[in-house]
Amino acid sequence: MEKYAVRNIRLCTKDCLCLFVCPTGATDTENSIIDVEKCIGCGACAEACPSKAISLVPTIYPIPPRKEDTVVAAMNRLSAKKADEEAVARKIAGATDKDGLYRLMKAVEKSIRLSNADVLRESGYLLPQGDEAVALLKDWLWNPPTPDFPKETAEKLAELMGINS
Amino acid sequence: MKYICQVCGYVYDEASEACPFDQLPDSWQCPWCKAPKTQFKPEQAEAPAEEASDAADDAGADAGSGLAGGSGFAGDAAGADDAGDLKQLSPGQLAALCTNLARGCEKQYKEEESKLFAELAAYFTAAVPPAEDASVEALAKQLQDEISLYPGTRAAADIVRDRGAARALVWGEKVTRMLSSLVSRYLEEGEAMLADTEIWICTACGFIYIGETPPELCPVCKVPSWKFEKIEGRR
Repeated sequence: MEKYAVRNIRLCTKDCLCLFVCPTGATDTENSIIDVEKCIGCGACAEACPSKAISLVPTIYPIPPRKEDTVVAAMNRLSAKKADEEAVARKIAGATDKDGLYRLMKAVEKSIRLSNADVLRESGYLLPQGDEAVALLKDWLWNPPTPDFPKETAEKLAELMGINS
Repeated sequence: MKYICQVCGYVYDEASEACPFDQLPDSWQCPWCKAPKTQFKPEQAEAPAEEASDAADDAGADAGSGLAGGSGFAGDAAGADDAGDLKQLSPGQLAALCTNLARGCEKQYKEEESKLFAELAAYFTAAVPPAEDASVEALAKQLQDEISLYPGTRAAADIVRDRGAARALVWGEKVTRMLSSLVSRYLEEGEAMLADTEIWICTACGFIYIGETPPELCPVCKVPSWKFEKIEGRR
């Protein structure tokens, strides 16, 4: 499997072992992002890094197993409910002038969004490169859901992800 | 007797505590996650074998009604056995889906893709029709209704041994129980509940915590405190 190195700046303790061991000078960047053009995926930096800030990720991810329709249906019901609740919390937050209620509703809105994203992830959208997500993106390109749909954003995504529309 | 917190799993063991559970004041909170006393269940009620088979019975009915176009998700009305229809999602769901894909790209260190999916999420969020009854009471009721969906959904996942879905449902139920308790508490106590204190959210699972500082570990998903974010007031 073809791989390349990535660095988590949150974990990096600037020991710079990656600089010493990299055979191609891919790790000497100032912005924390390892140069993908130069990286040959040898893994020397990840092995040497004392803070475990570097890991190797594949160029092509394995396709996750398909979800059963019964699970997708049940999860979608839950997800629809969460989406409705999120809209209620957002509207209350937008309308209130009370600080406590505003913060609580913002928290509820964010919390529901995170947990709904998780539910949808486990309804067949684990991987952005997976069949379901790619099909959705293609569908938006062919049939934009509304006239004001940001088609250029979807086009840029398709291009970056190597999707032929 | 042992009592278990349904949000974080904390065990209140009467054998090693000075006070019997029933005699704790109503204002008593879970020492780990601050869930109210009402979120505790006696250990017996959680007997795993019984619960699993009950839930499985529910699931048959539940998953069935979903497929038959009973209610709930967009695309209900159309052909029930068409798998494509099961994926018909509302704008609010598409917003959450794009948030998920943005997070997925972020985890893969694909920053540009992550930003673009976040833009699509913002578009779909703006496309959600405003809620009709936007009262705290209505929200409290909806959260209660959501909690009742978990046993059936969980059983649909368990029948086909979908461990990933089951995991998401465990976190989802716990996080929702906490939201539900907090919203109910706000209805009783009003602004006093949140005066001079911070609200924190776990950016991994969505767990909400009220206090000066976030907990050391998330009581639901166990990530460290730096994964918590403070909810800011209006600027």
